[in-house]
Amino acid sequence: MKKFSNLAIPYIAWAAMMLIFPMLLIAMYSFTEQGNSIVSFSFTLDHYKKFFTDPDFLIVLWRSLWIALKTTLICLLLGYPLAYFIAKSEEKVQNTLVLMVTIPMWINMLVRTYAWIGLLSPDGLFSMILGFWGLGEVDILYTEASVLIGMIYNFLPFMILQINTSLCKMDNSLLEASADLGGNQVQTFVRVILPLSVPGIINGITLVFLPAVSSFFIPKLLGGGQYFLIGNLIENQFITVGEWNFGSAISMIMAIIMMLLMMAVRNVELKNEGGKGKKVTNEEG
Amino acid sequence: MERKKIIEFRNITKSFDKQITLKGVNLDIYENEFVTLLGPSGCGKTTLLRILGGFLKADEGSVIFDGQEISDKPPYERELNTVFQKYALFPHLSVYENIAFGLKIKKLSKDVIDQKVMKMLKLISMEGFENKNITLLSGGQQQRVAIARALVNEPKVLLLDEPLAALDLKLRKEMQYELKRIQQEVGITFIFVTHDQEEALTMSDKIVVMNKGEIQQIGTPEEIYNEPANTYVANFIGESNILPGIMLDDYKVRFDDKVFECVDYGFKENEPVDVVIRPEDIDIVPVEQGKMTGEVLSVLFKGVHYEIIVETVPGTKVTVNMNVIRSLEETSADGTEKINANNFYVDVEDVGALDEKEIIARSNAMAWDTETDEYISIANIECEVLPEIGQYPVKFSTPKGTTVERIISVVNQPFVKNEKAGEGIMAFNFVKSVDEILESQTLDTDIKTWANAQGWKLSDENQSVDISVDYDFDPEKIKEGKVYKITFWTTGREFKIHTTDFTEVGKEVGLNFFPEDIHVMSRKAY
Repeated sequence: MKKFSNLAIPYIAWAAMMLIFPMLLIAMYSFTEQGNSIVSFSFTLDHYKKFFTDPDFLIVLWRSLWIALKTTLICLLLGYPLAYFIAKSEEKVQNTLVLMVTIPMWINMLVRTYAWIGLLSPDGLFSMILGFWGLGEVDILYTEASVLIGMIYNFLPFMILQINTSLCKMDNSLLEASADLGGNQVQTFVRVILPLSVPGIINGITLVFLPAVSSFFIPKLLGGGQYFLIGNLIENQFITVGEWNFGSAISMIMAIIMMLLMMAVRNVELKNEGGKGKKVTNEEG
Repeated sequence: MERKKIIEFRNITKSFDKQITLKGVNLDIYENEFVTLLGPSGCGKTTLLRILGGFLKADEGSVIFDGQEISDKPPYERELNTVFQKYALFPHLSVYENIAFGLKIKKLSKDVIDQKVMKMLKLISMEGFENKNITLLSGGQQQRVAIARALVNEPKVLLLDEPLAALDLKLRKEMQYELKRIQQEVGITFIFVTHDQEEALTMSDKIVVMNKGEIQQIGTPEEIYNEPANTYVANFIGESNILPGIMLDDYKVRFDDKVFECVDYGFKENEPVDVVIRPEDIDIVPVEQGKMTGEVLSVLFKGVHYEIIVETVPGTKVTVNMNVIRSLEETSADGTEKINANNFYVDVEDVGALDEKEIIARSNAMAWDTETDEYISIANIECEVLPEIGQYPVKFSTPKGTTVERIISVVNQPFVKNEKAGEGIMAFNFVKSVDEILESQTLDTDIKTWANAQGWKLSDENQSVDISVDYDFDPEKIKEGKVYKITFWTTGREFKIHTTDFTEVGKEVGLNFFPEDIHVMSRKAY
C-alpha cells in the first residue's frame, strides 16, 4: 500500500502547483500594496478596508448574491418538475430527454449567450412575437431581467441533471412501500421522494449558485455594461484599472463568502438526514 | 369452527409480453391462516402477491377481499400490508419513523403513534432501537423493522415476498420461528411467498404449490408431503422415487411387475398411475426379507443419513460390431457419375418388410454427378430376398445405367431379452466407410439407424423403449479395415434410499416398506 501511495506524490505536487500556488498568490496579492514587483511587498489591509467602506462596492456584492439566489430558486422550481418528468418517463424517452437537456452545452456558452442578445433585442424574436399578439414591444435587453434569463438558461441543465440523477437512483420499491402503507401520490412525494432527492437538490443548488454569483460575461453581454456584478468588478480591476491587488482582495472576499454559504447548505443536508450520519453499506448478521 | 374467507382469487390471469404468467388462478384464503405460496422462480407466485397488493393489475379475473371486489383499488386503499423482498425501508428515516410511517399518514395523534410503535418494537424484540439509523442495522434487524412497519397498521392480511431470501442460513432459521410466533401472537392472515420448500413446510398452516402459473396442490404441509397430488409436487417437495404403476383395484397397486398392498383407493380399475415412495420410507433389509431386491450402486454420506442408490431392475445391453471399410464406389464408363452402397444385415422375420425404400436406407445407397456433386436418384433396384437365412445379391442402378452390386445377408439375429425389466433389445452388425462416419452430424442417432437398433416392451412389441449408445472410439480417428464395438443399452430402475445404516456398494439387498408408504397419484394433470 505504501508503495502505491508514493505514486501519488507527483500528482499531488502537480495539483499543488496548478491549484494551490495561484490561490496563495492571489491571497498574497490581496494583502500587499500595489507595486511593480512581487519581491518587495509590504503587508496591508487597505484593499479590504476599501471594499467594505465603499457602499458602491457593497451594493454590487449584494446585487450579485441576490441575482444568483433568484437564478438558483427559479432553476430549482423549473428544474425539479422537469427532472421528475424525465425520471418518470420510459427508459428510451428518458435518454432522449436527457440528451435534449445536454445538447445546448455542446455549443460554446459565449456563443449561446450572444444568441440571446438577438432574441431579446427590441427588433428581436420575442419582441416580434409579443408585438404580434398586440402586447406591444417589450425592451428587456440590458436590464436585470435579461441577465436573469441568460443565467437561468445557462445553468438550468446542471440543476435538472443533478436532480434527475438522484430521482433515477431511487429504489422503486420504496415508492411501492409508501403506497402500501397508505400513502397516496402526494403523500409519497412529500414524505419519500422529496426527502430522498435532497442530495440532488443540494448538488444542483451548488452547481447553479456558484457560477451564477461569480459570472461576468453574462451580465456583461446581456446587461450591456449597465448591469454590474461582482464578477465584472473583479474583471475591471484586473483588465481595465490594473489594480491587481484590489481585484485579488475582492476575489478573496467572494471565495470566503461562497465557502461560508456552502458550509451552511451542507449543514442543512446533514440536518435533513436527522444527524444519522452518512449512508453505510448494510452488514448482514 | 367455521372460518371466514378473507381473500378470494377468482380466475386470475396475467401475462407479460405475451408470456402467460398466471393461467386462471382460483384460490381462497381464510382468516388467521399462515399460507405459503411455494414454487420455483417464474411460477407466478410473486405476480399473484403483487396483484393482491395492488402493484399489478390482473388481465382478467377478480380479487375479493373481505367480501369486497378490490381489483380496481390502488395499493394505498387496501387493508393489507407488505413486507418487501429487500425490505424497502426508508433510508432517510429512523427506525421509529419507519415504523410510524403509515400511522403518520393516517394522521393519528402523537401519543397514539408513540404507543403503537413502542408496542411493535416490543413485539419484534427491538426496544431501545427507535432512534437508530436504519442503514446501520443488520439484515435480520432490518427484516424485523420491515415486519413491524407493516404490522403496526393492523392490516387484516400481511403479505411477505420472499422476506428471508437475503438472510444467511442460521438467521433464516431463527426468523422462521420468529415469523411463526409473530403470526400466532397478532392472529392475522400471513401470505408468505417462497421457493424454499423447507421454509414452507416449517411455517405454514397451508401450502399452495404453484408451477408455470397454475396451482398444483393446496394442502397442509403433511398432506403436501405425504400425499402429493402429482409428480411435480412430489419432486418439488422433498425427494422421491416416482415410478409408473397400475392401480389394479382399491388398495392394490402394481409396479415393477409386482403387486403391492397400499392404502389408496377410488381409482378406476387398471388405471395407470404414478407411485411415489419417499427415500426415508424405504428400509434396507436382507435379501430374503425384502419386498424387492436389488444391487447397491452407490452410497453417499449426507451428514444425518446415507443416500443409497439401489438398482432393482438391471438395464439391458447389446454389443455389435462396426466394420470400417474402404469406400468402393462404381464409376460410370464415361466418368460422369458415381454410385455406392453398403452390404447390410437383415433379420429373417423382417424380410417381408424390406421394400425398396428400406433397402436404400439400410444400404445407404447413393449416386451422384462427379462434376456438380449433385445427387442422382437410384432408378432401379434388382434383388430377390427370400425369408431364409442366406446371402442375396442386390443391384442398384441409375437412369443412365451405372450399376453397383452389394450383398444383403439374411440372418437370424438373436435379441437380448430382459425378463426382469420386461424388455428386449436388438441391433445388427454393420459396415461403414470412414467418410460416412465422418460426415455424420448426429453420430449417435445415425449409429442407431445403421445398426437398426430397437428396443421394445415384452408385453407389447409396438411399445418402444429408449435406447442409449456407447462406444469408446474417437470418431475422428477411426481407420479403415478395423472393427469397432458399439453397445446399445437401456437404464434400469433405481431407488433412492435415505438411511442411517451403512451398506456396501455392490451388495445384493432387499428393500422393505409399508403399505402406507406407497403414495398413489393419478396420472392426469391436476
